[in-house]
Amino acid sequence: MSNPVRGDDQRDLDLIARWKAGDERAATELVERHSAALARFAVSSGERSDVDELVQDTFVRAFNSLDGFRGESSFRTWLFTIERRLLLDRRRSEKRRRDRTEIQESDSATEYDALDSVVADETQRRLEDAVGRLSPTQREVFALRVAEGLSYKEIAEAVGTTEGAARVHYHNAMRAVKEFLDE
Amino acid sequence: MNDCPNAEIRDQLPDLLHDRLDVSMRAAVMAHVDACVDCRAELDLLRSVHGMLMARTPRVDINYVVNALPKPMAATRAQPARLAPRRRVWSDWRIAAAVTVLAVGGGSFALLRQGVNPPTADTMLAQTSPIGSAATPSRDSVTVPTPSRVADASSAPSGSTSVARGATTSADEQAGLATTARLADLNERQLQALLDQIDQLQAVPITEPEPVTLRVNNKSTSPEGA
Repeated sequence: MSNPVRGDDQRDLDLIARWKAGDERAATELVERHSAALARFAVSSGERSDVDELVQDTFVRAFNSLDGFRGESSFRTWLFTIERRLLLDRRRSEKRRRDRTEIQESDSATEYDALDSVVADETQRRLEDAVGRLSPTQREVFALRVAEGLSYKEIAEAVGTTEGAARVHYHNAMRAVKEFLDE
Repeated sequence: MNDCPNAEIRDQLPDLLHDRLDVSMRAAVMAHVDACVDCRAELDLLRSVHGMLMARTPRVDINYVVNALPKPMAATRAQPARLAPRRRVWSDWRIAAAVTVLAVGGGSFALLRQGVNPPTADTMLAQTSPIGSAATPSRDSVTVPTPSRVADASSAPSGSTSVARGATTSADEQAGLATTARLADLNERQLQALLDQIDQLQAVPITEPEPVTLRVNNKSTSPEGA
C-alpha cells in the first residue's frame, strides 16, 4: 500500500517548523487542516456538545507539547490521540457529576436520532442508526477507518490498542452495520 | 449483504476509497471489485457511510481555536529580557553585606584595641579608695575588680596609693578588698575574705570582664566611721 498522505504529513511538519520559528499563521493553517477531522471524530465518538471547545483544547494541548511530537506518527493521528484522551477525561468528570448519560449500545440509536437534524434520506438515517448501535470502540475504529482513511496502525495509536485488534474491531463493525441494514 | 471471502481485498476497500493505494495495489483491488458483487456492495456502503459521517461534521470556529493557542516559542524568546531589576536587587544585597562586614570588623578591632592597655588593679583599687578621692563612684557601693584582674594585680608591684590603714572592721573584712586600697597591704584574713568572695562569683568571664559592683555597708567605706 502506498501512502499519498505522506505529502500531507510533510506539509504538517513544515507548518510546525514554521510555527516554532515564530510564524503564527502556520498555526492557523494547521487548525484549518485538521479541525474538521477532530470535530468529526468527536461526534463519531458520541460527543454531542461543546465540540468546538474540545477541538480547541486538543489544539492547545498539542501546541503546548509540540516539542514532544517526533513525527513518528502523522500529526493528525497524534491529534486524535490527544483528543481521545480529552474525551475520556471529560466523560470521567461528567460521569462523576452524573450530568451525562453514556451512550449505551441499547439506546445509542435514540441518541443519534436526537442529534440528526440534517439527514432526511431514509437510507442515510438507517446508516446513522447502524453506526450508532456499534460499541464505542467499534464506532471509533470504524469512523477513523471509513471517514478519515487511517491505517490500522494509525488507528491503533489513536485509540490505544493493537493493530490486530483495530482490524478485528473494524470488521466486526462492518458486519454489524450490514446486519442492521439487512433487517 | 454478504461478505466477500477475500479478506485481504476487503481490508483494502477503505484505502481504495481514500486513494491510499499504490498503483499496482489499486489496479488489483479495482479488478477484484469489478468482478465481485459483494465487494462492490461493500464499497458502495463505505461511500455512503463516509458521506453520512462527513455530513455530520460540525462546523468549527477556526478563530476561536487559533486565539486560544500559545504563542510560538521563537516569538516569546524575541521579547527583551528584563534583568535590570534583578541586578539591582543583587547590588543592594551586596551593599548590605559589605556594611555588615565593616561593622563587625570595626567592632572587633575596637575591642582588641581596648584590650591592649587594660586598667591595672592598682589604678582600679585607687579608684575605690575613699581617701582623698572626691570621685567615689557611689556612697552605697564600691567597685571591686573581677577575679582575673585581682589575680593579675596580686603580683603587680605596689604603688603609692593611700590606704585607710587600721580602719578595717569585721564588716570590712567581709567586704574584703572593698575597704582597702592595695593588695599588698591586706592581712591574711582580708585576703581570705577576698578569696571567699571570688569563690562565690557565679562565673568567670572569658575575655574582657566587666567590673562587678558589690553592695557594702556605707560606714565601712568611710574613714570617719572607723
